[in-house]
Amino acid sequence: MFVVKWLGRLGDQFLYITEQIGRSAMLLFYALTGIAKPPYKLHLITRQILFIGARSLFVILVAGFFTGMVLALQFYNTLERFGSIDLLGSATALALVRELGPVMTALMVIGRAGSAMCAEIGIMRTSEQIDALECMAIDPYRYLIAPKIIAGIISVPLLTSVFDVIGILGGYVVGVVVFGLSSGAYFDSMYAGVEWNDIMMGLNKSLLFGLTITWVSTTMGFFLHYDRKGAYGAEGVSRITTNAVVLSSIAILFGDYLVGAVML
Amino acid sequence: MAGNSLIHISDLVTHFGDKCVHDGINLDVRKGEILVIMGGSGSGKSTLMRCLLGLKAPSSGSVQLLGQDLFRSNRKQLVELRRQMGVAFQGGALFGSMTVGENVCLPLREHTRLDPNTMRIMARMKLEMVNLGGAENLMPAELSGGMIKRAAFARSMIMDPKLLFFDEPSAGLDPITSAELDELILRIRDAMQTTIVVVTHELESAFRIADRITLLHAGKILMTGSVEEVQASDNQHIQDMLKRKPRSEAFDVDRYLSQLTGDRVSRQ
Amino acid sequence: MQVELSERDGYTILAVEGEVDFHCSPDLRKKILQVLDDSGDLILDMGGISYIDSSGVASLVEGLQHARDHKKQFLLANVQDAAMQVLKLTRLDSVFSIHESIDAAINA
Repeated sequence: MFVVKWLGRLGDQFLYITEQIGRSAMLLFYALTGIAKPPYKLHLITRQILFIGARSLFVILVAGFFTGMVLALQFYNTLERFGSIDLLGSATALALVRELGPVMTALMVIGRAGSAMCAEIGIMRTSEQIDALECMAIDPYRYLIAPKIIAGIISVPLLTSVFDVIGILGGYVVGVVVFGLSSGAYFDSMYAGVEWNDIMMGLNKSLLFGLTITWVSTTMGFFLHYDRKGAYGAEGVSRITTNAVVLSSIAILFGDYLVGAVML
Repeated sequence: MAGNSLIHISDLVTHFGDKCVHDGINLDVRKGEILVIMGGSGSGKSTLMRCLLGLKAPSSGSVQLLGQDLFRSNRKQLVELRRQMGVAFQGGALFGSMTVGENVCLPLREHTRLDPNTMRIMARMKLEMVNLGGAENLMPAELSGGMIKRAAFARSMIMDPKLLFFDEPSAGLDPITSAELDELILRIRDAMQTTIVVVTHELESAFRIADRITLLHAGKILMTGSVEEVQASDNQHIQDMLKRKPRSEAFDVDRYLSQLTGDRVSRQ
Repeated sequence: MQVELSERDGYTILAVEGEVDFHCSPDLRKKILQVLDDSGDLILDMGGISYIDSSGVASLVEGLQHARDHKKQFLLANVQDAAMQVLKLTRLDSVFSIHESIDAAINA
């Protein structure tokens, strides 16, 4: 009896996940084909870039600066043991550009913008606003989802580059100002160590992350009413938003490994 | 299908999961009439509305609006059809990030190439009609419940639709505002010859505005008829509804007991 | 929608025929504003209008405002029942100066 129930629940779960994957693919397809058709909704995209990008700038600046400082601190400690403090600049820059820049930026954007996007769309679903759009013959994929996805793909790489630069600056403060490394040595090793391939890897990751964050967050909010536990009202929106944050964070970390493995 | 009916529902069956919501609904709405769909909670009236709007697909049967099958239309036909429909949702469904004026103008901005000045005047005219003159620069968060509903009315009428749908227009409103909305519905119909479908559970408002009333009960249509015909009906459910009596279903002692002690019974 | 222009006793008469919906109301709007700018006082003969939607009415309102701003006259004549209903719904029947015929409008 217990086993049957358990199997049934497993099957339910499997069906739900499969359906949700199908729906999310459909959402991305409709959103992308919607963008391709004129008239282009430039003002909607600009508004989203302002929300995802510009308004996240401060958080990114602070987080980037401290990440760079912590990195330099750790690397200084390690490199000193092997007597190769000269490599501090290149080590900090490589870690930032290849790994931490894209990942940390993505995590920040998830917390600041992804969760808000998911909650916004979820509330629009529960309060019939998405139905209202459909009834006004306004395509919600095109009007709501597409601008967010485009803005994510544009903003996240830009934020990542800001993060990288400010992180390198943070490393400079620790290495040069605090530990008295020469400024030339810090930047010289960076020029020698960081290659075009490393920057491409960071860029690819951040493009992928921009898409992932917006895609996961909007999907979770948009299909709130299909939730198995029957999402309803404030409780439903908050639960879905939590799910969206967890899921997109995991997706980011997994994607980070995937891109790293493919591009190595 | 009669030549002058704008909405034609035939043999509509819908399900939510395994639960049957509608079991063979047949309904026609004639041009220029106000049809009120009534029923208690859980009678399927809201779901019927969602079917009419193309938001919920039926399991079988068909819905024709303006002579076109709603669920066999392609995307383009559906857009064309929906531009001739207006809907005011129960909660208003205004967009929180836009002012009232922008909310009302949204369909115009998306579907027409009118001059911005013309759009603004149109929005103000519609707001004036619903007694919301001067509210166009307010945000939805600044409006009271009745004002939100009236703004939603204005938005639903902005494209001069042939078909208007109102979901629970008077739910949660004070008697005066709700009477004003009833008047407004009548005036819109008289001036524009709009065909209007209203879903409500308010008897008073239904009797005032309806040309015909459709009574839903447990997924079936009890009857469709004029106000007089409904009042004269001797069907038990209808009379209960009119007299606001609680449901008088046959009382089964065993079932009731097992409902209360459910867990125990199933474990035996 | 078809529009015909004529002159009488110093008034420009704009006779509109057919349906005025949001496909053609921008044309009507342009015409009204243009006549008010170029030639002055305007009588709109609405006798041939079979249907006017709110974008059409909005264009009329804009014309009236434009005329007032420039101290010119903007009169409506031969308003048919359907159009009158639409005007009444928005209480514009008391805003426009409405006349039974073109002669009445000229003599007013």
